[in-house]
Amino acid sequence: MIVLVGLNHKTAPLAVRERLFAGCQDLADLPADLLSQGGVREAMYLSTCNRVELLASVEEDSGAETALTDYLARRGALRREEAESCLFLYRDEEAIRHLFRVTSSLDSLVMGEAQILGQVKDAYRQALAKNATGVALNRLLHRAFRTAKRVRTETGIAANPVSVSFAAVELAKKIFGTLAGKKLLVIGAGEMAELTCTHLIGNGAEEITVANRSAAQGTALAEKFHGRAVSLTALDEALGDADIVISSTGAPSYIVTEAMASRCLRKRKNRLLFFIDIAVPRDIDPAVDALENVFLYNIDDLQGIVDENIKNRRREALRAEAIVTEEVANYLNWLRELEAVPTIVSLRSKADGIVRRELEKAGYWLTGLPEGDREKVEALVHGIVNKILHAPMAVMKEESAEFASQDIVAAARQLFRLDD
Amino acid sequence: MTDLEFLLFVPACVCVGAATGGYLLSLIVKKVQVARVSTWILTAGFAFLTLGLILAAFSAQGWGGFGSRHLLSVYAWAVSGLYLALQFKTRTRVLGAFIAPVILVFLIVAAGQGSEKNLIPPAWQGWLTVAHLVLAIAGEALFVLASAAGAMFILQNRLIKHKKTGSMIRFLPSLSDLDRINHIGLLGGFVLLTLGMVGGSVYAAFVWEGTWASDPKVIWTFAVWAVYGILLHQRLAIGWRGVRMAVLSGTVFLLFAVSALVIRFCLPTIHSFI
Repeated sequence: MIVLVGLNHKTAPLAVRERLFAGCQDLADLPADLLSQGGVREAMYLSTCNRVELLASVEEDSGAETALTDYLARRGALRREEAESCLFLYRDEEAIRHLFRVTSSLDSLVMGEAQILGQVKDAYRQALAKNATGVALNRLLHRAFRTAKRVRTETGIAANPVSVSFAAVELAKKIFGTLAGKKLLVIGAGEMAELTCTHLIGNGAEEITVANRSAAQGTALAEKFHGRAVSLTALDEALGDADIVISSTGAPSYIVTEAMASRCLRKRKNRLLFFIDIAVPRDIDPAVDALENVFLYNIDDLQGIVDENIKNRRREALRAEAIVTEEVANYLNWLRELEAVPTIVSLRSKADGIVRRELEKAGYWLTGLPEGDREKVEALVHGIVNKILHAPMAVMKEESAEFASQDIVAAARQLFRLDD
Repeated sequence: MTDLEFLLFVPACVCVGAATGGYLLSLIVKKVQVARVSTWILTAGFAFLTLGLILAAFSAQGWGGFGSRHLLSVYAWAVSGLYLALQFKTRTRVLGAFIAPVILVFLIVAAGQGSEKNLIPPAWQGWLTVAHLVLAIAGEALFVLASAAGAMFILQNRLIKHKKTGSMIRFLPSLSDLDRINHIGLLGGFVLLTLGMVGGSVYAAFVWEGTWASDPKVIWTFAVWAVYGILLHQRLAIGWRGVRMAVLSGTVFLLFAVSALVIRFCLPTIHSFI
């Protein structure tokens, strides 16, 4: 049975998540620790800033679920009521669905973010390195990665940015194509401007100039990005050189007027200019937007893009859920086949089929034998096949009684090509 | 047109038609993948056109074996070839939605032409007239590219200006790329047209020695060439670019195309073979 125990940003407050995160940090022996819990056959743990989850393949009715829940509560020093209200426990289909949703970023705080897939892959690698996974979890995780890939390629869940700064970067790319070599001018040294600046530089923008009222703050920000600081009085000149202007001062009136923008356009021979005004009240005169080859987006415009993209992601999430449902069904089918009885039946029927076909092929000379001899030959063939199959079938039955047949059944299915 | 040429011309038309449909569909569904497939189909169409023209060149006995259908095919071939060459550089596949219909129109008009040959008077058939025609056609093909990029620039600019940041804005190429294609088209087209005009003038003045300076086609082409020259000068000297350049270059090209048709069908001209 597959079980998943844990908590995440939806079920637990930050303080509880922090405690559990700390409890599961730097524990090289964690996979081994999990396997030592009664009834746990395979296990891995996933720990990110938004979730701590244990995934395990356990024996039925072994009490492993309770053991894992208690283990997690102990690790996070959770009180009984905290554990009851924050921890969730999913079994089989629910657990598989949850894992597939997590890996596909459908359960993330920012739906569609790409980071979670890498985090699950890292967690799996760690468990693999400690030999804590087996046939069930290996297959499950590969299915989860495949599901995530399908969701990313077949839906638009990760297509559009859902943060103001990324929306600004995307817009800049639609104006300039590539941001490589583009010059940035940052007016004001606000946090949001800094974040947008970081994303733009991450996408290739270069040569940062910071224009700020306070020289010290401006210089500090400029140094951070290996740029140069200028005073606000030199803004006219700085505007002439820049391609992208990010403004976020606390000034009560416009810092960049239409006349300034017109002047700088002449100087720059009408090269495209993108203003990102994230200040409230606004720093850049809205009339600037009417100028040719100038594009002005304020915080509301950018937030509007983000809101629209979030709506799109929600729409795409419905399609993603359908993919998850399909993949869960696929995995469950495979899991059911791992039970011993259907495999024994398949093996028996495959062997009978082979015997029947071979006897039919040999029909031309078998018919030449007296009827008594023919029956003896057929009995001999059946006998040999039964003897060969006896041992593998007996082992599968014995292991099945011990709740440990999955590895052997998987091997038998592969060796005898029962899935072809 | 021989049977074999016809066998190559038909699949070329089918491919360009399919590519046009694909590009227009890509605009509706807003999937670059559809535009990408259309580019491959257009490449196949270009290959058929190339083979057909090579065959025509071999089967024609001199330049005189070329008829209107061939010359219009050369236009279609030049536009598609230059567009595909540009694809390797800029990867703005969606631009095909504006280019492929133009190529298709050239081919449809070509298909409607009779199969007359020897339209170019034998006295004019020489390497200088070939150079004059090829350079002028290539130059005009680049003006087609410039106009298409300009039209797409106007559309994308409007979307960004009006904050219509839906899926169309993401689908269309960036303003910078479109402006660059517009500029390359104008600059390249101007240079090739200049060389073509020089070739034609030299031939007419020194070899043919007939009356050519008062030909309406010559006068009008010279006027258009001068306007393109002014546009390029304004761009390089005072930075006319973006919407202004897109609108002006598109308008000049439209005037050029309409005037070419008017001159061809309504006025007496020594260029009546094309």
